Amino acid sequence: MSCVALTALLLLSAWALAAQPPARTVRIDHRVFPGLHEMDGAWAALFAAGDGKVYAGLAHHGSVGHVVYYDPKTDTMHDLGDLGRLTGESMLRRGPQSKVHAKFGEGRDGRIYFGTHAGWWFNYARFATKEGYPGAHWMAYDPKANRVIDFGLGVPNEGINTGAYDPVFNRIYGLTHPRAHFVYYDVATGRTVDKGRINNFESICRTLAIDDEGNVYGSFGLGGVFKYDPRTDTIRELSVRIPIREKGVSLGRDYYKSETAWRTLVWDAKTRRFYGVEESATILFSFDPKAGGDGEIRRLGQLAIAALADSREVPYATLSLALGRDRKLYYGASGREFDYSGSAGVAVSHLITYDLETGKVEDLGEMRLEDGRRVLGTNAADTGPDGAIYMLGAIEVRPKEGRPLEAAGTIGGVPYRLALLIYRPR
Amino acid sequence: MSRHQVPWLVLLSAAALGTATAQRPIDYDYSVVRQVRVDLRDLGYPPVDVIPPEESEIRALAVAPNGALYGATSGRRSHLFVLFPVHGYVQPLGYLEGVTTVHRALVISKSGDVYIGASAGVDNNGEGYENYAGGQLFRYTPKEDERKPLRVDVACPTTPLGIPVPKEGIYTLAIDRERDILYGLTYPNGHFFSYDIAQARFTVHGTVADKPIPGEKFEKDKNISRALAVDASGNVFGSGEGGRLFRFDRETGRLQRLPLAAPTVPGREPYNRVDAWTDDGRGLLYGGTSDGYLFRLDPKRMELRNLGKPLNQYRIRGLVYAPNGKLYGAGGDDDEMVRLFSYDPVTGAYELLGFLDVNRRPYYSWHAYRVDAVAIGDDGTIYFGQAERISKLYLYYP
Repeated sequence: MSCVALTALLLLSAWALAAQPPARTVRIDHRVFPGLHEMDGAWAALFAAGDGKVYAGLAHHGSVGHVVYYDPKTDTMHDLGDLGRLTGESMLRRGPQSKVHAKFGEGRDGRIYFGTHAGWWFNYARFATKEGYPGAHWMAYDPKANRVIDFGLGVPNEGINTGAYDPVFNRIYGLTHPRAHFVYYDVATGRTVDKGRINNFESICRTLAIDDEGNVYGSFGLGGVFKYDPRTDTIRELSVRIPIREKGVSLGRDYYKSETAWRTLVWDAKTRRFYGVEESATILFSFDPKAGGDGEIRRLGQLAIAALADSREVPYATLSLALGRDRKLYYGASGREFDYSGSAGVAVSHLITYDLETGKVEDLGEMRLEDGRRVLGTNAADTGPDGAIYMLGAIEVRPKEGRPLEAAGTIGGVPYRLALLIYRPR
Repeated sequence: MSRHQVPWLVLLSAAALGTATAQRPIDYDYSVVRQVRVDLRDLGYPPVDVIPPEESEIRALAVAPNGALYGATSGRRSHLFVLFPVHGYVQPLGYLEGVTTVHRALVISKSGDVYIGASAGVDNNGEGYENYAGGQLFRYTPKEDERKPLRVDVACPTTPLGIPVPKEGIYTLAIDRERDILYGLTYPNGHFFSYDIAQARFTVHGTVADKPIPGEKFEKDKNISRALAVDASGNVFGSGEGGRLFRFDRETGRLQRLPLAAPTVPGREPYNRVDAWTDDGRGLLYGGTSDGYLFRLDPKRMELRNLGKPLNQYRIRGLVYAPNGKLYGAGGDDDEMVRLFSYDPVTGAYELLGFLDVNRRPYYSWHAYRVDAVAIGDDGTIYFGQAERISKLYLYYP
């Protein structure tokens, strides 16, 4: 095909696409993080506490991350500080504490517990070495005293890639990066335990799911599921499998992601089941850990944008899944492979719901801010006590003449910054 | 253009664009080792017939006279396995009853019998030894192993030969195949012993370290080499207290502490030991130290040359001499990432080979983070035994 013919073809295609009716949109409220526009990513670290405050971990690759919280009662954002200062490592001159890369959790004492993560590996020259990242810290924020507590270095040379807090046993659990070890910090005794390797660095599952009895679940291998029982302090591989769509090499996205694990899950206290999506094609499933000896997993549907769901280019699933008070699952679906400045290109995220009562999937449309700007991607979600759905992600930044551009980077050439996104179901 | 033609054009355009964006550019492929030169094997046939997690740390490998690779794992249970290069897969041969740790303690005699030394754990400040009777030496006699079914939850038939030193585990073994004599060191107290296969007799020749390593949290550990070398004359070399080399003189039966030390920076001698040995088949021995230095020992002239430090890491956890005339090794401490290197004795040049990873379906850049056993097959294939909760056997073709 000649260049002229190809150009004509592309122009015609663009015309045809432009002639499409405008996409359905859903309006999203948002709050930015003042003074922190350089924060370039956020994964999993979003938590709506019992008092309504919303905690977020903001990442800054090559530098230090921040922990912030939003108080909806006063509509104010608070920066608890940079992780270098909070861990006492500001002057260490080694790999910085760049992220909280895992879920926060709330203890019965009201503290918010978490672990830290790396964000600079010196082009792999200091990957998990003594000269590189010192290691993750176990930490907590005490809202009563308004101070951050550092419990110390938890895992030498490695970060907490995935994590969750269990209030039943008062422990912070984690999967480390890059060595994929299952570790935990027992808050009462101040003891860190390393149970050894679970998986490989490219397939560390991004969510540790904890049931109401304190059992911890993760996925590994080709859709496998393991269970950690805190009563016996043992890990067991279950016979159940999550429904993954196996890929070839490659599906057109990050070569280092095997896409064989679950991506994120939420616990439903009513049915005592987990609901989750897997990585490869955003297949929605339920996981009843109590059914039979090893639990039961059922495929419920797919939460990818419908036009992409069966395509080779279906985006890697996001970490943005929350269970609303209206018994609907809310999922932030990417329009293209999304990983902040590492995204495949620019696209608008959709908000997709799944009604647990009826099984109906509904695409509420492209997520747009009040001024029409696009939500370019999300990677964390939670539900506030008042039913508000919070997400954490990247929003479009439009340059303003005569003013410096407050952006973390670009996605497909479009400047972006992080924002707390708020959707209030009717 | 009709209205019906537009969708076709859109589809064609999308297909053209899709082809262009379907794969990531090559700079996303960060694999260090050439992927046509490395592979891995599961320890059996997963998901069922495989040596399970927590029982799969490979800490001992050896190649038999017939070319078969034998290995032993550590963890909640130790397993014996074999790989026949003609078949290429790992066959679990069963677990070793009552054994949890086999550390650098698997050797094969000229008859093909496999000797396995057990311990209750190593480098753990003597944990598990208070009520330990002592590590047994076992013999496994292969019999049509190629035809055996996979055995994971079945005991491996072995013959216990006795405990060399009561209350001590077997830390490492070496064999003089020509004379059918095994040599070993015990943990935690560093007794040097031999086992004469023909006479079925143990002899304890003395200790190689008497004082604990200075410092905290290893008060019960002594500085004992993690490997032994047997030279062409049947003399045995290792390291002991202060990183000093010792020699067991086969003819006199004496254990001698030599005026030579495993290379390290001054001041670190109490912590430095020989981590691995190999020989070049022409009378020279090569060693790697726990501080990560490579050295050459001429056992006839008793000359030791420090060849420097290939990696900015501790430990040289395994060394082999390949048919291409180069040495290959793996380094990195327990909490680091293993990296590979080669050394050319002719040019004195190191080549840094990077991480040990396998990037093929269904493994996407599957890394070994800790390697604790290295062996070389008759065809030059280098076997790296991973020693983690989940472990695999890596094959590298130089």
